[in-house]
Amino acid sequence: MTKISVRTRLFAQFREQFGGAVPLSLEAGATVLSALNALAAGVPDGEKAFFEEDGSIREYVVLMRNGKRIETTEAGATQLADGDELAVFPPVAGG
Amino acid sequence: MLTEREKKRYARQILLFGEEAQEKLKQAEVFLAGAGGLGSPVAIYLAVAGIGTIAIADNDTIELTNLNRQILHRDRDCGRKKVASAEENLREINPDIEIRAVDATIGDGNAEELVGNADVIVDAMDNYAARFLLNRAAFRKNIPLVHAAIRGLHGQATTVIPGKTPCLSCIFPHAPPGEVLPVLGATAGVLASIQATEVVKYLTGTGELLAGRLLLWDGRTSRAEEIAVERNPKCPVCGGNGPGA
Repeated sequence: MTKISVRTRLFAQFREQFGGAVPLSLEAGATVLSALNALAAGVPDGEKAFFEEDGSIREYVVLMRNGKRIETTEAGATQLADGDELAVFPPVAGG
Repeated sequence: MLTEREKKRYARQILLFGEEAQEKLKQAEVFLAGAGGLGSPVAIYLAVAGIGTIAIADNDTIELTNLNRQILHRDRDCGRKKVASAEENLREINPDIEIRAVDATIGDGNAEELVGNADVIVDAMDNYAARFLLNRAAFRKNIPLVHAAIRGLHGQATTVIPGKTPCLSCIFPHAPPGEVLPVLGATAGVLASIQATEVVKYLTGTGELLAGRLLLWDGRTSRAEEIAVERNPKCPVCGGNGPGA
């Protein structure tokens, strides 16, 4: 199977937890959802950051593929290509 | 017209923007939502810049745990209403401007009324429920909204121009869950300084606004990055209508 390289950019508390720019090597045909799973794997409480208990992506998580917004409900159907950039961040809330 | 005293007080800004721009600041009214971590430095910088009228809205009371970041309030102010302390301290900082203390919670029924005829709205709130109401009021009344938010050493900011840029609900359609946020006062200072700069730039027509761009500040590495943001055609606030609708 061919692999694709995806560059991720994480911000705010996601950056604290996962790092700022995590390079991912994914199977060809990988989706935004599989990229999130790959990010979460091996990081303590990684899944909890992105996913609800039922496995759906937390609705407030902002996902942008090459600068275009991806709805959390579309993440499983949105394929990534080699060289794509995926930004993942939560809304910062304090004032 | 600027008085001789004002010309002196704002001399270093007049060097930067000119007297006409300083006059625009004097004629301007800013609605500042929140007198907390962001609201404190925003209020101080807008007051010293000579914004003619600052309406500052908050419904909270000052607690000791606020004082690591809410620099408009003093130790002696614990237990007082934030707007009362804000009004008093801002008058001491600059007696040549009008301060309007608005002791109110921004709610579903009153956001547009509270905002009034402000030229700019500053979002210095600490929760998205209030931010969304403010964002909707800004869109309906066609008033620019300068947003920022902070957590820990991180922050974000953007300037919303109704009908031209994405609104806050385009960028963040869903609120994150509430939590007791860790935060350093200086983080509020960084983001609040950006907000105050945006307000002065907008009112004086200076430079390029943080419009259509989300600035993301990481104080841990002292890096600012930005992400281009787009309008959401399905946005429940600004998707279907023009501003002022």
